[in-house]
Amino acid sequence: MTGTAEPIVMDLKRAPNVHAATQAKGEALRAALAAQRTGTGLAAEQLDALPVPHRRVERWKHTPVAGFWSTPEAPSVQTIEAAGSEACPVPGLHAYRMVFVNGTFDAKASDLPVHNGVRCEPISMSDADAGSQGPLESTDWFAALNQAFATEGMKLHVAKGVILDRPLLVHHHTSGENNANFMRHDIHIEANAQVELIHWSTASDSSTGMVNIMTHMSVESGAVVALDKVQDEAGSLQHLAFEQINQAQSSQVRVHTGTIQGNWVRNDLNFRLNGEGCETVLNGFFLPKGKEFVDNHTTVDHRAAHCNSSEQYQGILYGTSSGVFNGKVFVRPHAQQTNAYQQNGNILVTDKATINAKPELEIYADDVKCSHGCTIGQFDEEALFYARSRGIGEKEAKAMLVHAFIGDVLEGFAVAEVRMEVEHRLAIKHGWDTWNDTLESA
Amino acid sequence: MVNIKELQASIGETPILKGLNLEIKPGEVHAIMGPNGSGKSTLASVLAGREDYEVTGGAVDFEGQDLLEMDATERARSGLFLAFQYPVEIPGVSNINFMRAAVNGKREHDGLEPIKGKDFLNLVKEKASLVELDGRLRNRSVNEGFSGGEKKRNEIFQMAMLEPRFAVLDETDSGLDIDALRIVANGVNAMRSPDRSFLVITHYQRLLDYIVPDFVHVLVDGKIVLSGDKDLALKLEEKGYDWIKEDVIA
Repeated sequence: MTGTAEPIVMDLKRAPNVHAATQAKGEALRAALAAQRTGTGLAAEQLDALPVPHRRVERWKHTPVAGFWSTPEAPSVQTIEAAGSEACPVPGLHAYRMVFVNGTFDAKASDLPVHNGVRCEPISMSDADAGSQGPLESTDWFAALNQAFATEGMKLHVAKGVILDRPLLVHHHTSGENNANFMRHDIHIEANAQVELIHWSTASDSSTGMVNIMTHMSVESGAVVALDKVQDEAGSLQHLAFEQINQAQSSQVRVHTGTIQGNWVRNDLNFRLNGEGCETVLNGFFLPKGKEFVDNHTTVDHRAAHCNSSEQYQGILYGTSSGVFNGKVFVRPHAQQTNAYQQNGNILVTDKATINAKPELEIYADDVKCSHGCTIGQFDEEALFYARSRGIGEKEAKAMLVHAFIGDVLEGFAVAEVRMEVEHRLAIKHGWDTWNDTLESA
Repeated sequence: MVNIKELQASIGETPILKGLNLEIKPGEVHAIMGPNGSGKSTLASVLAGREDYEVTGGAVDFEGQDLLEMDATERARSGLFLAFQYPVEIPGVSNINFMRAAVNGKREHDGLEPIKGKDFLNLVKEKASLVELDGRLRNRSVNEGFSGGEKKRNEIFQMAMLEPRFAVLDETDSGLDIDALRIVANGVNAMRSPDRSFLVITHYQRLLDYIVPDFVHVLVDGKIVLSGDKDLALKLEEKGYDWIKEDVIA
């Protein structure tokens, strides 16, 4: 492993030519936060050493950050009831539930798992000190900001061999203006345990400010984890999500990220495959419209031999929306027999929509199978005409083609109710009548 | 049923149809033959409502309605069907869901409720047997990975499902071997009825051995220059098109 660059440290090591205005704004935000909040005190030094991200830093090249920062305010509401929203955003879902409103745990709206071998609690009620979360793994300024100011979030520990009987939903709702909501989820899944997690973010129409959610997940050998992550936020928020998932030998992790709605969304999803025989699936879709912006940065770091990773991100961009896909796959020198697959497909519906797509493969082992593909195109006009010539309306024909384009990703969501609600929400957003239910099973 | 008067159409700046006249009565089968580039496929596309072509003159009456005023979806729902020369592959959309959307689109137009799942599957079974389309192809993505013959059979299957009043078959025989040709032609013949009309566009007389037309027209340079009965097709097969250019047009 020696001599190999750290995948997520690379940007830091460059001497950045800082954009002074961005730097000043970022520092002002941090100072305002420091003045009004009792942070964990962690990461202060690291934060000092980190550059505020700006467009000359490669990982933030196409991601406009500075426009949103303003003076953070204390949250106006702290319960889902006061926010006038639903505790569970997924109808018919039979799941355990942790609800956070503007970064505060809402005990009344939650339904924590009562299960042998499962410890699930908000950080604020946990015996373990919030500072026990270990060293900062990300060297991103926003992640460090999270580490410095996140005082709430979920602590989940699933003991060896335990299979959680229901999915666990973490619902984060944002309401009100000038938010600066920091959440930190620490998840530890012991050997051979199995759990299905859902992270669902919602927001009210008038919400503004920043939502910054960091998830650290440690998955021990033979454990199986599925995470369905859905972003469906109204308002005009700046949403940053970081996930660091560390996998031990023969563990399996599937993460599906669906961005239904979001004014400005940045997802940083990072995997470290530390043991042999890991299975990793990371799929996602994004369908921004209007002026929405969605950025997916992913890193799969193959540090051990005989691991499989499979990645598929599909984007359809409407209106004047823009998107970023950056998929890094890293294969370390002795990660032989790695099988890594990456696919990113994009459809630009209008000539004003933009996508910046970049697959990045760095391969230092010689006996591996790595493939990647990236496409950017338009709706297939021939297919549309063909459908219309059969009496299918234009809107329905387009919905059909959309469904076909993101169908593989949708199918991969672990929880059926989540998948159905995602389809329902998409249909509402894009004005499709219905999705075609499938007949194959009839 | 269909009355085409002085139809003119262009693609870009290039005129293709230059005043085409054709009347098709209920129950009739008309064949259009003609050399490459004469405008046969353009006629099919213009009738089906493909927007790449600009209609620059003339009129098309379809059962008392102005066909050219309708978009492609409305035309199909009103009972027009085009069997494509090159059927389009749509990965990720299953043939069967595609057809259900099509059938329900037509039913909506006719003021009917969406078809019930079981009724639909029975209908699929019945119509698929007409062109010997096996279940495997019904559940696959639309035309994806189909052979040339399977694609054409799928076109006729779709036609049978939608039961159009007027069907245009655009070079349905191209790329078919004899067996597939017979299956496709049998499917079409089974659908012939006194209130359904066909316009069969083809290069070769061979198809017309199986689908016997009432009238044969020769299209040259965007106009019908000669019409006759099925014997005209035989004459064309034997003598080619040059004699028409010399004798008829000159």
